Amino acid sequence: MDFLTVLMITVIVFANSAGDVLITRGMKRVGEISTLHPREILIVAGKVLLNRDFHLGIFFLAIGFFSFLAVLAWADMSLVVPATSIVYVFSILGAKFVLREEVTPLRWAGTVLVCAGVALICL
Amino acid sequence: MRTAIVISAAVLAQAAGNTLVSKAMKTIGGMSASSDILSPLLLVEAMGNPMIWTGTGLLILFFILFTASLSWADLSYVLPASSFGYVLNVAFARHFLDEPVSPARWSGALLIFLGVALVARSGKMKTAVPATPKSPEGQ
Repeated sequence: MDFLTVLMITVIVFANSAGDVLITRGMKRVGEISTLHPREILIVAGKVLLNRDFHLGIFFLAIGFFSFLAVLAWADMSLVVPATSIVYVFSILGAKFVLREEVTPLRWAGTVLVCAGVALICL
Repeated sequence: MRTAIVISAAVLAQAAGNTLVSKAMKTIGGMSASSDILSPLLLVEAMGNPMIWTGTGLLILFFILFTASLSWADLSYVLPASSFGYVLNVAFARHFLDEPVSPARWSGALLIFLGVALVARSGKMKTAVPATPKSPEGQ
């Protein structure tokens, strides 16, 4: 694997993890969505669209997505997708250290299994 | 229960959306020469395909449901749980798109299934959320 591919995979993993963490922080600040009433949902949607963390999250997810498209121009998808499945572990680390979520050993075990499963599926 | 329903609906929408977009793009790509695969004409053709719009609509629905669930549940729960979509994607690709699925892919799907089962057993919310208007409970 050449240097540029490794760099792009690193960018994809960090951008996606940062996007997930920021969107979660934004949604937690907006508050729990507990209604199906159209007017209430519109109010919540307005709050979400004005949330700075949500904007930043979308920005990072877009960086991840376009980096993914770019790296596919020269690298095999069967290499890129399994390599980027490590994003699950980094997002959980973000959840633990940035969002202060309590990540139990059961969640860690499940996340590692998911990560290995995603890698196997795409090989 | 609400978290399970919302995540199930999200992964179902994602798998159906991916299948529809994939089927439409294969149909459009099959009609064009392979050298034209990135041509603007192909893009215009894709924009006129109802399957692309339905698939894209379902993928947007996935994102809305995924984002909504993050307003009350932990990211460390929602992210691995929603990866069950990979398993559905493999099953849908096999069933609706007649794609060959190798034993390695089925093994991967089984690992994801086990991983999701473990995460689901951990409960949707382990972390108290300060300064939010409503309690995170109410499953």
